[in-house]
Amino acid sequence: MTDTLATAAAYEKADQLPDDVRAPLRELILALADSKRVLGLRYSDRMLGSPTLEAGIAASSMAQDEWGHARLTYALLGDFGDDPKALEHERDAAEYRSMNALDAELDGWHGMTAAGLLLDMALTAQYAALAESRYTPLRNRVQKLLDEEKFHFQYAASWARRIAQVPELRAGLAAALERALPQALQWLGRDEAPGARRMVDEGVVRDLPSDRRARFLARVAPVLEEIGLADPLGVSRDAGEWTYTGRLDWAGWDDATRRAGGSLDEVTAARARGDKNRALLMD
Amino acid sequence: MKEPVYEVFARKSREEPLRHIGWVNAMDGDLARVYAWKTYDEQNWAEMCVIPRSAIIPVDPGESQFVTAARDDHEDEIVHSRGTGSYGGADVAVKEGR
Repeated sequence: MTDTLATAAAYEKADQLPDDVRAPLRELILALADSKRVLGLRYSDRMLGSPTLEAGIAASSMAQDEWGHARLTYALLGDFGDDPKALEHERDAAEYRSMNALDAELDGWHGMTAAGLLLDMALTAQYAALAESRYTPLRNRVQKLLDEEKFHFQYAASWARRIAQVPELRAGLAAALERALPQALQWLGRDEAPGARRMVDEGVVRDLPSDRRARFLARVAPVLEEIGLADPLGVSRDAGEWTYTGRLDWAGWDDATRRAGGSLDEVTAARARGDKNRALLMD
Repeated sequence: MKEPVYEVFARKSREEPLRHIGWVNAMDGDLARVYAWKTYDEQNWAEMCVIPRSAIIPVDPGESQFVTAARDDHEDEIVHSRGTGSYGGADVAVKEGR
């Protein structure tokens, strides 16, 4: 963001945003909200049967955090002409824009840990890029969320360190991280995506997807290195900057939905929508 | 392995003193911070701290609820084998290989 933009007037309402910024920003917010909602579900599935009572309590609290973040993020879309309630409770599974990586349940505690360290932190990297947005409703909501995410990071990093020390669990953790890492990196999007550069130019988003990938790696790569898995996962440091040496496959990638095909399953979507308690839904 | 006990202290405003609000079992200080924050979240705390119970040196070990005995072989090394009755909080064994 240039100095000129930094001092430019804030956007108080979505209809003040230029058309070529409003549309991609709506897509981004919906992808964030859906991902938060499904991540909360995945966390909640792991809170019983956790390694320790405290770990389960924390997982439960993190699941609630994610649902709170989702609710807050869906609510933003009311300003874009959407009906947040309809978005939360009335969409088919195929309409969900949650991360591909969250389509499947988290496999055991190593899956929970990989999701916390990589998927949750990719979402956090994206939210962090909105913390100083010129679009005021976003800027006002993001900081508390980022504060809560600091605990999610500590939780995941500590469990990654712990699991990596247990010989019979280390391979499972490495495999879960290997699956999640390219998906997390890819979810942050392409610089060439429609509107990506315009959102930066307008000061709505801090930086381009490639910059966010670098920030994301700067946060998680030291943990991967500490547990001896950075190299095996294709993460290396060059002149102080962390890079991913693997290849991200953009074939089939949809910039708007931030997905590469597939769909959330209907059972999970029904849980996300709250179908079983539909009769009790309040206005 | 054993998971040590961390005592949790907090205050609601800068003006009031830290007070003991509970304890958590955690593998390390980082997790103890997370567990404390997530477990004792019923108040809007201004500050919360966790302290390894093993770091608390009782002035009068006989009366302390945190630490209850000094080992014979190391005068300064504190263990906490008692004091778990109504107060609670003991080292717990963590199963490997879950």
